[in-house]
Parts: sequence; structure tokens; C-alpha cells
Amino acid sequence: MIDLNGNQVICMVKNYLTNGPITNKTISHLLGKMSEQTDSGGHSIFLGQVRADEINLKKVKAIEYSAYEMMVKAEADKIRELILSDFTDVTSIDIVHSVGIVRAGEISLLVLVSAGHRHQAITACSKAVELIKEKLPVWKKEIFDDDSHEWKQNLQDQTGS
Amino acid sequence: MQVKVLFFGVLAEVTGTNCKHFRDVKTISDLNLRIADDFPEVIHYNFRVSVNNEIINSDMVLNDGDEVALMPPFAGG
Repeated sequence: MIDLNGNQVICMVKNYLTNGPITNKTISHLLGKMSEQTDSGGHSIFLGQVRADEINLKKVKAIEYSAYEMMVKAEADKIRELILSDFTDVTSIDIVHSVGIVRAGEISLLVLVSAGHRHQAITACSKAVELIKEKLPVWKKEIFDDDSHEWKQNLQDQTGS
Repeated sequence: MQVKVLFFGVLAEVTGTNCKHFRDVKTISDLNLRIADDFPEVIHYNFRVSVNNEIINSDMVLNDGDEVALMPPFAGG
């Protein structure tokens, strides 16, 4: 959802999903909420960005994401519950994933974890990102600069985003 | 009885649809045969199957109104 000033409105993040890229305004809104969490001593944020990979002499210009929305909600709820139960110092988790077109250089995944202390904030954020890539029913179609496309899947041992 | 089948990712592309209803299918294996009849290209792809948002790993009985999803490997992030 875009407001009258052309800005993405955070309230339109529904069941963890938002249409198009995750904008600076959405990120700023979430970061702004941190000052209310006076029981937290550390926040860890992961931003996944669309990379302009070059494959067979063609460059990725965008990714089109699609999702099984009901199952995304169920699986993301489970991930949040698992993190909160495994990391007792964690106080909150925010997850936002894009659907639709996200261009190279734009943000398609945000994970923000707050905790009493830095170690659990960082570790839990990393764990949440890995679970999201493994468990969320989301698919991505890489669109190249010549408008051809290719479906991509996550590799378990891949260390990049 | 009728079940709703959802196709995602590359499977939506190769079948040309996101959704199709199938009547009178009692089990997942029945449904697989019907899908292979209607969309023979599907058998060339890897995918997992969920019933009502839960991934299944073996055959099971289907009930009227069940939602079955054919899901290629995930690629979020």
C-alpha cells in the first residue's frame, strides 16, 4: 500500500508479507519502535537485498516473489514461537517478506530481533533468517535484463542471502 | 466430495494455473494420478505436498473441502 506521499505504509504488512520492496520508511518505522522497548539492551537486524547476479552473460534486474500466504503465516508464527522458546532473553521478533517485484538493490526480507543482551539478539536473528529460508513457502523468479526469467531455489549449504 | 489444489512457483507456470478443483478423489495417491492426467508436465519437477497448510510425507485420506498445495523447493529471502 502506498500513501498519498508515495510512501509505503507499515500497517499494510499483513501476515508478515508486503507487496513490493521493503522501503526505508518501513525499516525506519520498525527501528523507531525500538525506543519503546526499554527492557531490551540490543537489537539485531538482517536485511536481505536482491543481488544483480550475472548468469550466462545475463544480469538479474529484479526478482518476482510469490508465496502461499496462509502457510507463510502458520510457518512464521512457528518460527517466532521457536525463537522465543529457544532464546529466553529475546523480547521481540519482527519478520517482513516481500511478494511481487523487487528490483536489484532493493530489500526483500527484514528480520529484527530484540533481546536483553547482544549475544542472544545476534544469534537468534541469524537462526530466524536460516529458518525463514528453510521453512517459508516463498518462491522467487529471477528476471534478467533481457526479460527472460529463471526459477531459483535456496541451497541448504549456501552461505549468502 | 471436492478438493482444491494450489500450484506454486514453477508449477503454476508450467500448468498455466494457480488453482484447480478435483472431484471424487479419496486419497493423495488418487489425486496424484488425476493431476498427472491433467498436467503431465508436473511429474518432471520436484515438489512437496501440503494438506491444509501441513506438509505431508506419505499418502493420506482426503476430505471434502481440503486444500492441497504442490510446492516446489522454497526460495525465500
